[in-house]
Amino acid sequence: MTEKIKLCDLSKCYGCRACQVACKQWNQLPAKQTYNSGSYQNPPDLQPNNWVVIKYQEISDGNGGVKWLFRKDACMHCTDAACVKVCPSGALYYTKQGTVGIDNGKCIGCKECVAVCPFGVPKYDSKADKVSKCDMCLSRIENDMEPACVKACPTGALQFGDKAEMLKAAYKRVEVLGGDATVYGDKFVGGTHMVYILPEKVSVYDGLPEYPRVPLNVIAWKDWLKPLSLLAVGGAIAGSFLHYITHGPKTPDEDGNQVNAKGGE
Amino acid sequence: MRKGMIKATDAFERIIHWGLAISCIVLIISGLGMMYHSFSFLSIPVGGLKNLKYVHNFTGLIFIVALLFSILMWWKEAGIFKFPEDVEWIKAAGGYLWHVDNVPEVGKYNPGQKIFFLAVALFGVVMAVSGLIMWFPLSLPVVWVRTMYFLHALGFFVITPFFFVHLYLGTIGSPGSASAMFSGWVTRAWAKKQHPKWLKEMEESGKLEVYGE
Repeated sequence: MTEKIKLCDLSKCYGCRACQVACKQWNQLPAKQTYNSGSYQNPPDLQPNNWVVIKYQEISDGNGGVKWLFRKDACMHCTDAACVKVCPSGALYYTKQGTVGIDNGKCIGCKECVAVCPFGVPKYDSKADKVSKCDMCLSRIENDMEPACVKACPTGALQFGDKAEMLKAAYKRVEVLGGDATVYGDKFVGGTHMVYILPEKVSVYDGLPEYPRVPLNVIAWKDWLKPLSLLAVGGAIAGSFLHYITHGPKTPDEDGNQVNAKGGE
Repeated sequence: MRKGMIKATDAFERIIHWGLAISCIVLIISGLGMMYHSFSFLSIPVGGLKNLKYVHNFTGLIFIVALLFSILMWWKEAGIFKFPEDVEWIKAAGGYLWHVDNVPEVGKYNPGQKIFFLAVALFGVVMAVSGLIMWFPLSLPVVWVRTMYFLHALGFFVITPFFFVHLYLGTIGSPGSASAMFSGWVTRAWAKKQHPKWLKEMEESGKLEVYGE
C-alpha cells in the first residue's frame, strides 16, 4: 500500500468548519453543551468528542488592522509517534496506511499519551476513562475513501493522496505563495501524515511547535531504561546465583542452635 | 522458639517490613505487565490491563504507607553511615565478594543494608511522588508529567535489582537471617557472625532479650 497523507493548505482555509462537522458526523461524536469563550473558535481546544477543531487566531496585518489565521488542528499522525511508543496496552498503533490508529477497547485510560504527544492531541474522557483522537477516518481510508474532513472541505484546502505526490504539490504551492510560506510536517518525527502548507512562519501559529520531537525523557524512559531494567534484574539474579555457587553463603561459625546451617565459607 | 535465641525485631517492624515487601512484589509484577508488552499476560489473572492498572495504583497506596513507617522507624539505625568503620567494611565488601581475614565488625545494620535502605527510601519516595502524579496528571504541565514517567522507570531500574539481591541475602545467601523477619528471633551464632558489634552493645547495656531467660 502506498503511504498516503492529508495535505492541509491553510492559505485556502476560510474557517467554515465543514471539516469539524463532517468529522463529528462520520465518527458519531455527539455535540456537548458549549459556551462563549470570547472567540469564534468553538470548542476552545480538541476534546474527546472533537477530534478536529479550527483554531481562530487574530494577528496584526501590519497596517494597523487585524486578520484571521485559521488552522485545522487534529492528530498529525507521526511516523515516529510518541503516543505509540508509550501506550502500554497497544491501543495506539501504526496502521498499514502509516497513520496512527486507536483501538478504543484496548485503552486503559492511563493518560500517558496525553502527556507525551508533542502536539497535545490525545484527549482524556473521564466519563469513559478512555483517550480518543482522530484516526484519519481509518474506516474510510481502508476502503479507498478520503477522510470525512477532506470530503467535506469546500475550498480544496484539504486533500488526501499519495505522500510523494502530495509533498510535491505542497512545495509547488509554497513557491506560488512566496513570502514566509512553508511546508510543515515532512521534516520531523519521521514525517507526519497530516502536512500543513503554512502561509505564515511556524512561530506565528499558536500551539504549533517549531521543532516537534519525541521528548528526550520519553526516549530515555522507553528506549534506554526499559532494556536496562531487565538487564539489571537479570544481572542481580544471575549474580546472586553465582555468588551462592562460587563464594557461598555467609554462615554462622558455630553450629549452636542454628537450624538451617548448610554450606560454608 | 528455642532457649537462648535472641530477639532481633519487634512485631511492628515485621508487619511494616512485610507490608512493604508484599506491596513491592505486587507493584513489580503489575508494573511489569504495563511497562512491557511482552509481559502483558500478567494482566490475565485480574482480567485485563485496566484492572491491572487499578491493582497497581491501589497497591501503591499501601506501599506509600509502609514506606513512610519504614523510613520513620529505620532511618536512625539504617540510614546513617558511621565513619570510619563503615568505609572499612565497604572496602572489604563485607567479606561477601572475596576472602577477608578480618571483616570490620558491624552493628545492627551493615553498610550494605544501609545502602539498600537508602536506595529504597529515596527511590521509594520518588516512586510515590511520580506515581501519584502519573495517576492524576492532567492538572500539571506536560513537561513535568513526562519527567515523572522517566523517574518512575528510573526507580524501577534501581529498586527491582536491589529487591532480588535483598531476597537472596535475606534467605539462602545468609542462612539464619530470614527468621529475623518471620519469628523475630535469631540464633546467637548468627548474631555473632552478622552483627557482632550490635550483640556486644546489647549485652553490655543489658537490653538483649534472650528467649527463656
